[in-house]
Amino acid sequence: MTKIGIPGLAFRNLRRKVVRTVILLFTVAVVTGTLLGATAFITGMQNALKIGTYRLGADVLVVPEKNEAQAKSALLAGEPTSFYMDRGVVEKVKHVEGVKRASPQLFLKPTSFTCCYNVDAFLVAFDPASDFTISPWLEKRLKKPLADSEVIVGSSLPVVAGDTLPFFGTPFTVAGTMEPTGMKFFDQSVFMTMNSAYLMAENSKTKSMQSLELERDRISAVLVQVREGFTPQRIAIRIEHDVEGVKAIASDEVISTVRRQLSGLLKGIIGISAIVWILALLMMGFAFYMIVNERQRELGLLRAMGAKRRQIFGLIMTEAVFLSFAGGIVGIAVGSGLLYFFKGIIIRELKLPYLLPSYGVLFELVVGSLLFAMITGILSSLLPAAGASRMDPYEAVRKGE
Amino acid sequence: MLLEVNNVTKQYDIDGQILKAVDAVSLTADKAEMLSVVGHSGSGKTTLLSLMGGLTRPDTGTVIIDGIDLWALRDNQRSELRNRRMSFIYQFSSLIPTLTAIENIILPTAFGTFGADREEYAKELLGIVGLADKARAYPSHLSGGQQRRIAIARAFINDPEIVLADEPTGDLDEQSEAEIIRLFHRMNREKAVTFIIVTHNREIAGQTARQLRMTNGVLGSSGVNSSLMKK
Repeated sequence: MTKIGIPGLAFRNLRRKVVRTVILLFTVAVVTGTLLGATAFITGMQNALKIGTYRLGADVLVVPEKNEAQAKSALLAGEPTSFYMDRGVVEKVKHVEGVKRASPQLFLKPTSFTCCYNVDAFLVAFDPASDFTISPWLEKRLKKPLADSEVIVGSSLPVVAGDTLPFFGTPFTVAGTMEPTGMKFFDQSVFMTMNSAYLMAENSKTKSMQSLELERDRISAVLVQVREGFTPQRIAIRIEHDVEGVKAIASDEVISTVRRQLSGLLKGIIGISAIVWILALLMMGFAFYMIVNERQRELGLLRAMGAKRRQIFGLIMTEAVFLSFAGGIVGIAVGSGLLYFFKGIIIRELKLPYLLPSYGVLFELVVGSLLFAMITGILSSLLPAAGASRMDPYEAVRKGE
Repeated sequence: MLLEVNNVTKQYDIDGQILKAVDAVSLTADKAEMLSVVGHSGSGKTTLLSLMGGLTRPDTGTVIIDGIDLWALRDNQRSELRNRRMSFIYQFSSLIPTLTAIENIILPTAFGTFGADREEYAKELLGIVGLADKARAYPSHLSGGQQRRIAIARAFINDPEIVLADEPTGDLDEQSEAEIIRLFHRMNREKAVTFIIVTHNREIAGQTARQLRMTNGVLGSSGVNSSLMKK
């Protein structure tokens, strides 16, 4: 069956100049890939931030005044750190007006040879009696209290339940693994009870090559939950006023720090994407002008055969749609591949939390990028197609001679 | 009266100078009439043909096909009329290079509604122009003469009432030329197709019932071949 229609004609036209078609396809692919990569990356960071701050579970984090930077860097970049203050701070914080709950935590930086795995594990010890951030998760997932010989590990650590992890000469059994959050503070941490941490410190003096100097009256931070009607910022100011020598970091302050970092990055990404898009639009627009110009006689002939203006317009637009659809698919494939393979490096270099968006969100991003690619193709060919459809058929045939 | 051209003028502004390509031309053509327009290059023959086909708008005057004023129609309607009732044959290779011979012939049907019999008819036309074995060949694999014959076959795919041919046999050898003219006569006789042939070839013009001469955009009568006039 011999049948030729507008789509068939458009497809044959694209095949006619393979090199030009490939260049245009590559242009659309670059735009689509950039867009998909940028949106998937930003969405992943926002995703991590949302889940991470939810997991933090505290409205305010109280740390020794001089260790504010270390605490923030631990929370945001998951950099292992150790700092201490007196346990008495917990009681003082509890008495600050507007504080609903307060629970101490210990942050311990294990020495590299204490763990047999080549991962920067961060030890976090919590007080089961007063904790309100890790215990709810334990109740839901582990369904039993954490024993002194057990630890819960973050999703990035290459261990599974039942494995043994030695820290400062004390072996711990892995009781469970937390789900990924995209924040290293959680994903690369090992959670244990404070009693375990103190026992480990005592044992380290005889069992470890490097002892851990930690007295039972020392803690690293106090996690605070504020009462309804109070804002974390306000309570943070009150704590700093009422309790000497501490720095109170409101959780939204942590978020806003990341948001500030993200905002700069976002502006950069949007700027680059916009430049790439405008260049692609101009390049494709110019290419379609050339296509229309060099095919003037052919288009005039089609008009002489009875092609209507909208059919000529449709022919050029169909070429643009084919091109941008194919370019979009290539861009999505390459963009996803690059994001997948270089995700680790980018996160390491930027020191920002990242959690791959869910498949549903990824699907939306892919569909959105493809639509964007097609819009780019359509926009760039709109004027040349309109010009082609308005040509005087006789002039088109004559000028093409 | 199938075609009526009334006092049609078309002029161009070239570097501030007004050039009258077609100057107050009037002519008529009956159904199944075969007439030729002869004249030197640049005399306005091709412009006149385009005006008759509704490809370009005249500055003054009217072109009426079967009682319909071409330029009173909307562009879509004019396109439809071209698609259903007329065809053009050009003096240059007018095939689409990305389509095969058979696809080129069938191409005009892509722009309108035609019956399913067109494919069979396209094959028949290929046979008529002596290229039945070249259905799947691309224009780049055909000689200039073969391409011309495919373009001529294409002109009949829509069963036109009027064929406007611009130097249809230019560059063809004598034998091919004779075959093409025979085909025109056959279509004229069997399907009552009206032919308006623009040519500078007096021999071809001599084979049409009426010859008109065009000089500097002005049309004049040249002669009547009474033996070829429709009775």
